[in-house]
Amino acid sequence: MAPKSTSSKATTVSPSSNPVLALWKSYNEQTPDRLRFIDAFLVFLMLTGVIQFVYCVLVTNFPFNAFLAGFSSTVGQFVLTASLRSQVDPENKNEFKEVSPERAFADFAFGSIVLHFFVFNFLG
Amino acid sequence: MLPLLSLLISLVTLVVARSSTGTDVLVIVSAEEQKDYTLFFEDLEGRGYDLFFREPKAEKPVLLDADVPQFHHVLMLASDTKAFASDITPQNIVELLTKNVNVVVALSPKQNLFYTLAPEFGLVPPPPGTPLISYFPERTDPPTVLPVHVAPGPIVTPNTPPVWFSGIPFSVGNSPLLVPILNAPSESFASDSDSTTESIVESVEKGGEGLWAGSSLGLVTGFQVTDGGRALFLGGGAILSDAFANKALPDGSSSGNKQIAHDVSAWAFQESLVLRIDETSHHVVNATEPKEYYTTNDQVVYTTKISRWNAKENEWEPHTGVDDLQLEFTMLDPHVRTGIPEDLARPGTYSVTFRAPDRHGVFKFIVDYRRKGWTHLKSAITVPVVPPRHDGYPRFLSAAWPYYAGAVSTSVGFVLFAALYLAGETKEAGKKKKE
Amino acid sequence: MATAYTLPDISPTAVKNTASLVRIVALALISGAAIASRLFAVINFESIIHEFDPWFNYRATKVLASQGFYEFWNWFDPTAWYPLGRVVGGTVYPGLMATSGVIYNVLHKLNLPVDIRNICVLLAPGFSALTAWATYMFTKEMKDASAGLLAAAFIGITPGYISRSVAGSYDNEAIAIFLLMFTFFLWIKAVKLGSALYGSLAALFYFYMVAAWGGYAFITNMIPVHALTLMLMGRYSSRLYVAYCSWYAIGTLSSMQVPFVGFQPVRTSEHMGALGVFGLLQIVAFAQLARAHMSSKQFKDLLFYSVIGIGLIGAGGFVGLTYMGWIAPWTGRFYSLWDTGYAKKYIPIIASVSEHQPTAWPSFFMDLQLLIFLFPAGVILCFRELRDEHVFVIIYALVGSYFAGVMVRLMLTLTPCVCVSAAVAFSSLLDTYLDPAKPEVPVVEETAPATASKPAATATATGTSAIDDVVNAAKKSGKRGIFDLDTRLIIVFNAFCMLSFFVLHCTWVTSNAYSSPSVVLASQNQDGSQHIIDDFREAYYWLRQNTPETSVVMSWWDYGYQIAGMADRPTLVDNNTWNNTHIATVGKAMASTEEVAYPILRKHDVEYVLVIFGGLIGYSGDDINKFLWMVRISQGVWPDEIQEPNYFTPQGEYRVDDRASATMKNSLMYKMSYYRFAELFGGSKQAMDRVRNQRLPTVSPTLDYLDEAFTSENWIVRIYQVKKEDPLGRDLKSANAFTDGKKRKRSKPVSRRRAIM
Repeated sequence: MAPKSTSSKATTVSPSSNPVLALWKSYNEQTPDRLRFIDAFLVFLMLTGVIQFVYCVLVTNFPFNAFLAGFSSTVGQFVLTASLRSQVDPENKNEFKEVSPERAFADFAFGSIVLHFFVFNFLG
Repeated sequence: MLPLLSLLISLVTLVVARSSTGTDVLVIVSAEEQKDYTLFFEDLEGRGYDLFFREPKAEKPVLLDADVPQFHHVLMLASDTKAFASDITPQNIVELLTKNVNVVVALSPKQNLFYTLAPEFGLVPPPPGTPLISYFPERTDPPTVLPVHVAPGPIVTPNTPPVWFSGIPFSVGNSPLLVPILNAPSESFASDSDSTTESIVESVEKGGEGLWAGSSLGLVTGFQVTDGGRALFLGGGAILSDAFANKALPDGSSSGNKQIAHDVSAWAFQESLVLRIDETSHHVVNATEPKEYYTTNDQVVYTTKISRWNAKENEWEPHTGVDDLQLEFTMLDPHVRTGIPEDLARPGTYSVTFRAPDRHGVFKFIVDYRRKGWTHLKSAITVPVVPPRHDGYPRFLSAAWPYYAGAVSTSVGFVLFAALYLAGETKEAGKKKKE
Repeated sequence: MATAYTLPDISPTAVKNTASLVRIVALALISGAAIASRLFAVINFESIIHEFDPWFNYRATKVLASQGFYEFWNWFDPTAWYPLGRVVGGTVYPGLMATSGVIYNVLHKLNLPVDIRNICVLLAPGFSALTAWATYMFTKEMKDASAGLLAAAFIGITPGYISRSVAGSYDNEAIAIFLLMFTFFLWIKAVKLGSALYGSLAALFYFYMVAAWGGYAFITNMIPVHALTLMLMGRYSSRLYVAYCSWYAIGTLSSMQVPFVGFQPVRTSEHMGALGVFGLLQIVAFAQLARAHMSSKQFKDLLFYSVIGIGLIGAGGFVGLTYMGWIAPWTGRFYSLWDTGYAKKYIPIIASVSEHQPTAWPSFFMDLQLLIFLFPAGVILCFRELRDEHVFVIIYALVGSYFAGVMVRLMLTLTPCVCVSAAVAFSSLLDTYLDPAKPEVPVVEETAPATASKPAATATATGTSAIDDVVNAAKKSGKRGIFDLDTRLIIVFNAFCMLSFFVLHCTWVTSNAYSSPSVVLASQNQDGSQHIIDDFREAYYWLRQNTPETSVVMSWWDYGYQIAGMADRPTLVDNNTWNNTHIATVGKAMASTEEVAYPILRKHDVEYVLVIFGGLIGYSGDDINKFLWMVRISQGVWPDEIQEPNYFTPQGEYRVDDRASATMKNSLMYKMSYYRFAELFGGSKQAMDRVRNQRLPTVSPTLDYLDEAFTSENWIVRIYQVKKEDPLGRDLKSANAFTDGKKRKRSKPVSRRRAIM
């Protein structure tokens, strides 16, 4: 903790980048593999969502229902995976007394299947 | 009873031209005047009509029996009579017309019940006792008997010589159902025959007001009742009389009275200028049966067959040559208005293809063809136009491929993730067990 | 520990089993009571669909049952809103019809041939039993099972809910309240457990609710407000994140599947609250995550810049999009809840519905009786516990109370909350007084001399000081409570009596006020026997049997669904009221003279006009009483031709006797209502209008363009046939005068001369 605070005191030119770098370093060191795997999936989902949104804004939003279906597919999957991540994170064990990690995954699977069902219904 | 019998009889007799509605004619004329119209009556009988005569005051044969008309046509030549029988009233005459009976009415300078009948048709007669007077052309007859030039029109045969006329003019209103046939000469006027000079002087002082004069006055006017018969108003019955038929014009040639009597009675009794719609059909392009409802933006084909009554052949024949037939596809206001051209392969058939509007609703195919002198053609067919069904839209849109790709990639990603995650879990569980 | 009464010695497992058995039996009895109390109308009259809106739902369900789901989905009704038609598939909430269709098909597969009408009539009582169960589950989360049973009993018989769910009231609210409570229960479970399963289930039932009722916007805003309040209270937790995000993502996507809702969840202001809270949750979750990895100072910097920046960008984005029109502003129906004067000025149709009027205070008592004053007590008890779910009930209570005060119809959404809070309060009361634990006796000897020595200055002073001493003594001893059996018996007996009064009140209100089919009226003869007034059905069946199948009927929009359902004829306007101009056209035709109304009638192919007239029998819901609304609505579209002040007397009164204004006397509605009415009274006595209590002129109005076709037995429904155009092209007034034998005034011919300038 100490070296980080001194570095923040020393460099006052760009205060925002330092916390970000520190965040990145701490994240890399502290998170277990499983959660990083989940985070990779989250990043992938975010990228696809951003691509679809940019396409909608720049080119056309004509089949608006298709855009909503695709975009909310990524957004929905993102939040479900983020929920899974928070439920599986060992630090949050006190919060989720009745939801074991296995139960969390089952919930995640159920929610995702329901989500995809609606997505494909709405798509075309 | 009577009409049936006469129908049988008339079937046997040889006919030249017959009406499209029937052959029984009731002639209401006083016995003295009946002999004045023998040529006209012969002409009618020669055309196949059965004439039944009735004095104006006689009670029988009645016009209507229990609201059913007893004759197909009524000819009222008793213009000088003031009192009629109880069933000859203006209201009954109007009712006859609505029941598709044709009526010919001869007016006269004497005021009688026809003076209350004519205004209902938009025709205003002049004050009673003011016959039509003209001092031109120079002739030996009194001013109340004058030759009238016949303007060309669809009802009269072309080049009809001028006709002799005696009676009253009337002012023709602006009802679209009126069919002007013969108008007064421009130098004629209606006035009391004794004091014409005083009346002219008076009207000059008033700036021309109050003098019934000019060529806008009608002498013979027809009226086509909506969904009913035809009415014909004559300013005076004398135009049909023998005397005028045989009378020579001032310049020596023969008059056209016989011809015009033939023409106007043919029109009034629905022999000429009679049209009807035989059938209409509508369907989608490339189909033959009409659909219960159409979809928006459908290509719809509308076909109609029009035929015309041929009096000589006594049958309906296809009517060609209508170039201004119009179809309106209407929902409160016409959304599509298009002409219906003739189908050259089939004469008498008119067909058009158009695109149903983009708006859903209950539409009507409306054909409303009205020309002066001709029967009115009316047809309205109601048909719903519905929006496309849920599977009537194009299935895959090319503009949406990024969204398809995104949705599919998310699903695939989910499946992969789940598989790898569970695999990771079993590996971890295995590791833990080993430990 | 001392006990006031001894409990029998039974093992805990036996107690538990008995308790659950008692619960099940209690729930079954409550369901039975709920269903039974809704059957008054069926027993008193017959199994018939009530009111107006249910007739349309019934017609739609018949289409679904007979032709299948896809035909219903694509159904275009050409007989409604003639000639515009109505795309029913896209303008209806299909949940109710789909539910009935499923039940119908299931029963038929089981070889029970139940008629579709009976399914529709009895659907609401069936679902009310389910609502009672859902409320039980919900209240169990709040407090415990005993409070749950009380809440179930309350909502089973309270008139506030019965009014919209009697047998025969086949309307969206029949299933919507069940879905409302069940969705809320699933949401509370999701927040409590932090489970995505419950969140997804909540989303699924939310989807069912969206398919069933337009009031789903209540859930759409309640859950985000709850989440936001929790966050503002500093109670953000991962459970909240999991629950809300799974609910929002799946719920919003699924709600857009309903064609009637379409893209509204991302396009209108009513749904933006949910989206905003969703975004806020993402930000807060990310901030929490980042906080775990950084020092607090760096975290504060990051938070300060990025979070606030994102928040500002988000808020600015919403405002900008609304300004540009991409996001629609609040629609009239919801906006009029905030600005109550708005509807009267701008949207008279919304203001004219009697259900949209503000609530009068007696209806609170009539609908809820003792629950309404237990309700604040329950809310305060929620404040005491203040777990996450109690915050929800508090918010629900606040919001529900406001809306119930604004609009009578929204009493229905307040009722479940009142039942829950009242149950919590009542149950706490019973718990306290049934708890056998007795406190220890406090020691009061030390302070007794002190009280005796104090001078008795005023009576109140001594009284209060004695009580203060006892209280202080009790505090010193450490326990407060109820001592003996007598207090307990009194309170419990009192509570029991109050509950009995509640049951009596509910049953009385249900049987008297809310069980009328309104299609059939009942009155009492002089000897007390019931006299049924069946005019509506008489007239509708006359239409059905005596008119061509395609003849169009014009009436005011209230009766459109009934005409379509019972008479099976095309109508111009009906209760859907989606096209204001069409309704204004009908209003204009009713409010104008015959000459002005006739072209409108012919343009719309109207063959029959139907009016409701209550003047003979005293039925006050007739068209003359609604006439001013017709005038106002048509004035909104044609302010030049129709002006409301013209229909009042110069003194500003609304009269129908000889003091009525000329515009009023010549209007089509007046003529149709009072045609031949004076002749009914014999001409010697003046006709008396029993609703307005005014005497009419002895000469009835005359009608030139319409013919009277049918008048029902008590003159309530009058049907007129529109005359065809005159064959001679005259206007019908002159044509009628001619037929009557009157001579036309001699008119000069039209002058074709132009004046010389």
